[in-house]
Amino acid sequence: MTDQIALHTEGLTKHYGDVKALVDLDLDVRPGEVFGFLGPNGAGKTTTIRTVMDEIRPTAGRASILGMDCHAQSVQIRRRIGYLPSDLALYPNLTGKDTLTYFANLRGGVDWAYVSELADRLGAQLDKKVGDLSSGNRQKVGVIAAFMNCPDLLIMDEPSNGLDPLVQREFQTMMREVVGAGASVFLSSHTLSEVQRVADRVGIIRHGKLIALETVASLRSKGMRKVELEVGSPADAALFEAVPGAREVVVEDTRVQLSFEGSMETLLKAVAGTYELVDISTQDADLEEVFLTYYHDDVVNGRGESDSVTSGGAR
Amino acid sequence: MLTSVFTKSVRDRWRGLTIAVVSLAALLYFGMVVYQDIDLSIYTDLGPAFESLIGIGADADAASLAYNAIYGSYGAIIMAGLAVAMGAGYIAGEERKGTVGVLLANPRSRTQVLVAKAAAMVLLLVLGCLGLWAAGVATPAVLDVSTSGMDVTAFLVHLTAMTLFFGFLALAVGSWSGKSGVAAGVGAGVLALSFFAVGILQMIEGWEGLAKLFPWYYFAGSDPLLNGIAWGHIALLIGTSALLFVVALVGYNRRDLRSRSTGVSLLDQLRSNPVTATLGERLAGSARVSSIAMKTASEHQGLLFVVSALMFLVMGLMMGPIYTSIEGSMASFSDALPEQLVALFGGGDLSTPAGFYQIETFGMVAPIALMVVTITIAAKALAGEEENRTMGLLLANPVSRRTVVGQKAITMVAFGGVVGFAIYAGTALGVLIGGVDLNLVNLAATCVLVTLIGLLFGALSLVVGAATGRVALAIFIPVGAALLLHTMNALASLSDAWWGALSPFHYYLGNEPLDNGMDWGGAAVLTVLTVVLLALAFPAFDRAEVREHA
Repeated sequence: MTDQIALHTEGLTKHYGDVKALVDLDLDVRPGEVFGFLGPNGAGKTTTIRTVMDEIRPTAGRASILGMDCHAQSVQIRRRIGYLPSDLALYPNLTGKDTLTYFANLRGGVDWAYVSELADRLGAQLDKKVGDLSSGNRQKVGVIAAFMNCPDLLIMDEPSNGLDPLVQREFQTMMREVVGAGASVFLSSHTLSEVQRVADRVGIIRHGKLIALETVASLRSKGMRKVELEVGSPADAALFEAVPGAREVVVEDTRVQLSFEGSMETLLKAVAGTYELVDISTQDADLEEVFLTYYHDDVVNGRGESDSVTSGGAR
Repeated sequence: MLTSVFTKSVRDRWRGLTIAVVSLAALLYFGMVVYQDIDLSIYTDLGPAFESLIGIGADADAASLAYNAIYGSYGAIIMAGLAVAMGAGYIAGEERKGTVGVLLANPRSRTQVLVAKAAAMVLLLVLGCLGLWAAGVATPAVLDVSTSGMDVTAFLVHLTAMTLFFGFLALAVGSWSGKSGVAAGVGAGVLALSFFAVGILQMIEGWEGLAKLFPWYYFAGSDPLLNGIAWGHIALLIGTSALLFVVALVGYNRRDLRSRSTGVSLLDQLRSNPVTATLGERLAGSARVSSIAMKTASEHQGLLFVVSALMFLVMGLMMGPIYTSIEGSMASFSDALPEQLVALFGGGDLSTPAGFYQIETFGMVAPIALMVVTITIAAKALAGEEENRTMGLLLANPVSRRTVVGQKAITMVAFGGVVGFAIYAGTALGVLIGGVDLNLVNLAATCVLVTLIGLLFGALSLVVGAATGRVALAIFIPVGAALLLHTMNALASLSDAWWGALSPFHYYLGNEPLDNGMDWGGAAVLTVLTVVLLALAFPAFDRAEVREHA
């Protein structure tokens, strides 16, 4: 639909008093891609989205959408984007259909055949009052509202909240379809598997700072693996931790789990000298481990605080 | 701090109560200062009819006038209103907010929760009334005003008992229905009805006994300020409160809790019934979501209907025949009425129809009715959407913030106009039916002026909501301003003080439009103020950051 950079931020900064919610954010969302914006709760994802949506105003820096300034041209921008806020709230007394009609009236040019198609695909109930819907069914109304005007850029803040796995999959297919047709998607999430499945590139944000910006493919190709070993006698964690490239070693008697980056030979040699190797299995690390690894580094280098560091913390 | 349901309940509500008590104490001080400066010797001639009408004794002096004006009307309404808000919010409010599930997931029975909340309510209301009592005792001492023959303690014991009654009434309705809107509506409705009913019934010969059906009678009926505590009345109020508490306990324990959900309106029923579905769709569906203005209108159509209907029927239509029936008794003591005193209640001479209407309909009730509508719409317009977190989604549409402010302002102005017209139509019909000698053109002018008053404070609410994003501020600031400015105007007109002109109410009834016709200068002042405030709302909302959470 367009060759313009879909979303562009330059030194985008937002302070709330002393709290630096967003620090010097530079990023581009290219046309025809799904950009995954990953980070734990409170990292600054929603602040970023609310700033580019002109709901709040940056302390410094600027942002543009489809080549238009996010503040000065916000109304023109909103003709061409779809938006799904985090923790969606709708008008409880309106039905889903009323809600969509309201937004369609404010927007103009909505194709109702497309709306019914979207509703069918997601299994949305549009004749019930939004206030009486479960959160997942309410979210479907929000998803339809974001998609219904065929936007050039979709901005969605943790959109899968409350959707069941089947609907999530359909929703992801819908995202790939609109991207295939030339639109772009800016998808904030802490659900790593979702981003891994649909995103082309990923930005990772923490404490308001962008700490990584890579393609999903290159993140995977870092060669990080998850390794599980079974050895003949009770294992000593220190031995495994000493192997270069090994991280997050967990020892349970004779079973050892670790993340490993590097040549497998180094690891095998170190183990074979001491233990009998009963069984070994490896798999590509998923984004989750890569994600945690980044955080781990961040903390070891002393840039972060010691909260939310443990491996479970970012889920 | 949050060691129990009790302390949390206290903490949730103490602030509003404190503000109310401090404001009332300040108004009392202000009132006594002004009354002190007026020559009160003329009051000694007042007859008993007048005493029953406004509750002011024959030995009227600065202290009793101030107690009755500030505590006896404003104070009692505000304290009872706060009690209704507490009673409605404490049980049913948690269901509306959807927090009741988490609350009752704790090892506390429903009875324990209800007892804790009721205890918090009683504590707060008693403390609030104690605060009023302390101010009531201290103010005359500081100002060296005589209070001989007056029993402030008895007065406040009665006020406390009535306040508790209204709190428990709302608590009982909320506990049975789980609907805070219903609880608040019933509580406020009974409060308003009983306030006016007691006032009016005591003026109609032979109907005085009916006043005993209303709780307000047991607060003011025995004139506790002069006669001391009427223990029978207190026992009745407290006993009914206790009974209502038992009713609340039973209701709360036996019913299903509501999940956060919506009510079912008549329109919804029409839409869900296949026979009437088409009609329902036509009434509701497309029209009410066709624009921001229409959507806003549909959200408040219930309120508009109730207020307009009440004003049309009760304050308008019925007032004509009521006046005709009491005209004689009015005339019998009208000569004794000092003009300055009546000014407090909106001015005018009670013996003439214009004066009667100015006091009964237009002095306080009509401005309140208009403000209820305009301030509700204005406060919810911007701040309400922010607190409900729908503003982000609304602004994701290609509409500018100015459009949003403008469309919501249009609805407020239109609704204010409807209420103003309902007052006019009802009053005019009542005048014709009762054969009252009131100029209908002057009546129209007065209705225009009172509509402007409503729009003025609505516009103030819109500005505050636009700038702060907080519904509570958008309600309290204009309501507080209206209360202060109304009192200021009333007190200033007693002594013809120049600072009365600082109050917008001066431009409303100051020139007695029911007698003298349209006050074009006053209308211009009110219009300009309203337009300026409305205009300020646009930049205020442009600057504000849309709030994310309530």
